[in-house]
Amino acid sequence: MSRTRAIWLVARRELLERGRSRAFLLSLLLSVAIIGIGTFLPTLFGGAGKAKNLGIVGTPPPGVPAAIEAIGKRAGQTIRIGSIADRATADADLTSGRFDAVVVFPADGSTPTYVVKERSDQLLQQLVYAAFTPQPQLQFQQLLPADPNRDTSFLFANVGVILLFISIFTFGTWVLTGVVEEKQSRVVEVVLSTIESRDLLIGKVLGIGILGLVQLALMVVVGLGIGVQSGRFTLPTTTPSAVANLFVWFVLGYAFYSTALGVLGALASRMEEASNAASPVSLLATAAYLFSLFVAVNDPTGTAARIATFVPPVSPMVVPLRAALGAIEPWEIAGAIVVMLAAIWALFVFGGRVYSGAVLQSGGRVRLRDAWRSSGRG
Amino acid sequence: MLEVHDLTKRYGAVVALDGATFTVRPGRLVGFLGPNGAGKTTTMRCIFNLAHADAGTITWHGDEIDRARRLRFGYMPEQRGLYPRMRVADQLSYFAQQHGLAAKDARAAAVRWLDGLGLGDRADAKLETLSHGNQQRVQLGAALVHDPELLVLDEPFSGLDPLGSETMSAILRERAKAGVGVVFSSHQLDLVEDLCEDVVIINRGRIAAAGPIDQLRAASARRHLEVEVEGNANAWLAGRPDLNAIETRDDLARLLVPADLDLSAVLAAASAAGPVRRFSFQPPTLSELFMEIVRT
Repeated sequence: MSRTRAIWLVARRELLERGRSRAFLLSLLLSVAIIGIGTFLPTLFGGAGKAKNLGIVGTPPPGVPAAIEAIGKRAGQTIRIGSIADRATADADLTSGRFDAVVVFPADGSTPTYVVKERSDQLLQQLVYAAFTPQPQLQFQQLLPADPNRDTSFLFANVGVILLFISIFTFGTWVLTGVVEEKQSRVVEVVLSTIESRDLLIGKVLGIGILGLVQLALMVVVGLGIGVQSGRFTLPTTTPSAVANLFVWFVLGYAFYSTALGVLGALASRMEEASNAASPVSLLATAAYLFSLFVAVNDPTGTAARIATFVPPVSPMVVPLRAALGAIEPWEIAGAIVVMLAAIWALFVFGGRVYSGAVLQSGGRVRLRDAWRSSGRG
Repeated sequence: MLEVHDLTKRYGAVVALDGATFTVRPGRLVGFLGPNGAGKTTTMRCIFNLAHADAGTITWHGDEIDRARRLRFGYMPEQRGLYPRMRVADQLSYFAQQHGLAAKDARAAAVRWLDGLGLGDRADAKLETLSHGNQQRVQLGAALVHDPELLVLDEPFSGLDPLGSETMSAILRERAKAGVGVVFSSHQLDLVEDLCEDVVIINRGRIAAAGPIDQLRAASARRHLEVEVEGNANAWLAGRPDLNAIETRDDLARLLVPADLDLSAVLAAASAAGPVRRFSFQPPTLSELFMEIVRT
């Protein structure tokens, strides 16, 4: 029997056994709930439902204000329309937040302008635009340049990093506990009488990784779906590449971290020791996460972020973050992938040997050096 | 035929195997005996590439054992273990597939073996819900499900109740009859003497004795002699200070004597002392042979 089939059998077992486990279903539900709430809550509190204030400067074509209100009502949105004396007052009211948006109708009957402070409420804007028949070319104006901190790409970047961290760590931990379970239940010796230890690790990482991809895909679809449906955001042009980066870097980051965790799991003999054994990797991942969330996001093209792009434990979070912000060069992504692949390969070679040496040793923690040595052949 | 030749393995300063050599022929039941730490488990792990010998070879029908060959073997490690939360039939089917069976055949084999082991009605139960004894049966099933050509079992009888032992013995006999080479380690020497044709006795990493049990017993330089002279309280022994008594009780003396002892002279001395109620001259039992070997 080929090695590939043996690896696939291991992966398939993980998929079937864990895929129908309560833990996985719970994890799916929880992740969907988190994403749902995360995307929906701001809409609930600050968005749909709450009345919107639309100011009007000048004289609108007859029927337009009524049409706006009617369309709003149909969309379940109360739109209060108020008249504003002149453009200067309108700007002041927008800045103070009294109005969410203002439509300025010039006295000469030329194209009206839709004015917002800095970030347009997409729902309101769509409703207002829809009220004009035939649809005129409304000019759009922002009083302040869009604050990048409130940009959709910023939201994507942040949520992306959080999703990656959760996904990589949830499923990496499953690999860790899976390895310890096999060791603790001693089934590993039966399994290893048929399959190479490296292949067992690869199969396990693969099978659990597929579950991880399923969950990530679900979270992305639910998140984008709710976001777009609720009018919370429209997809920025960077969306496809940001999503692609998310998946690519989940695969790379998961392969890296889960392998490291699997290897460390082999050093433990009991579940109680597992988290202890895994702590170096957990710390590293947390550091990478915090770095991405608090340093790289504020200065995505800074030296720190640029260097971190090529540091394997950090790149799985920094690269998709920079990509979501549109602040990374294609060559940097390519380079980071190459470095990451090399790191994963090295980890498999080094870690695979430690895993082989440690996984059959029971009775207390196995020291890294002993595992390395006992796996030496010949 | 499994041939283990000159196997050597060290763990640091500890010599686990020191040139171990023996064979297991198809269709034979071989008891693999030795005190704790003698090298039994290490030898078995070497057969499955779970430990790597420093020197020596293991061959099957004259060929080096590669993975494809190893998949035709069945193994039951000393430390039992299966997936606790996996269904029993799924589990056996999984192991059958890992041994190279196609999914459909694996499923059929799993069902067949579960029926054979009396667990047909528990096929969809999770392993952890089974009793200890039934888990042991599933473990045996995992070693047998792919119809191996060679069975290697590390302490298969440990932890079994008499009924479980009986089932295990019957299955091992039946497998050997079907032409499978069966080698298993055990500390239950009487059971091994009952069940096996051949034994391999390993002590401190070396093979101290190997071959058919009857031949080993006959080849022993010693015999066990039991003499009972009525009403003599073993006083007759005083005339034979060369005889080494292991145990004397009432009128019975148990002696360990050389195989070439002049029996008629002993019988004559005993008869002269009184009526001889018992006079038995036997080669050592396997258990006695084992003690002799590991104590030297």
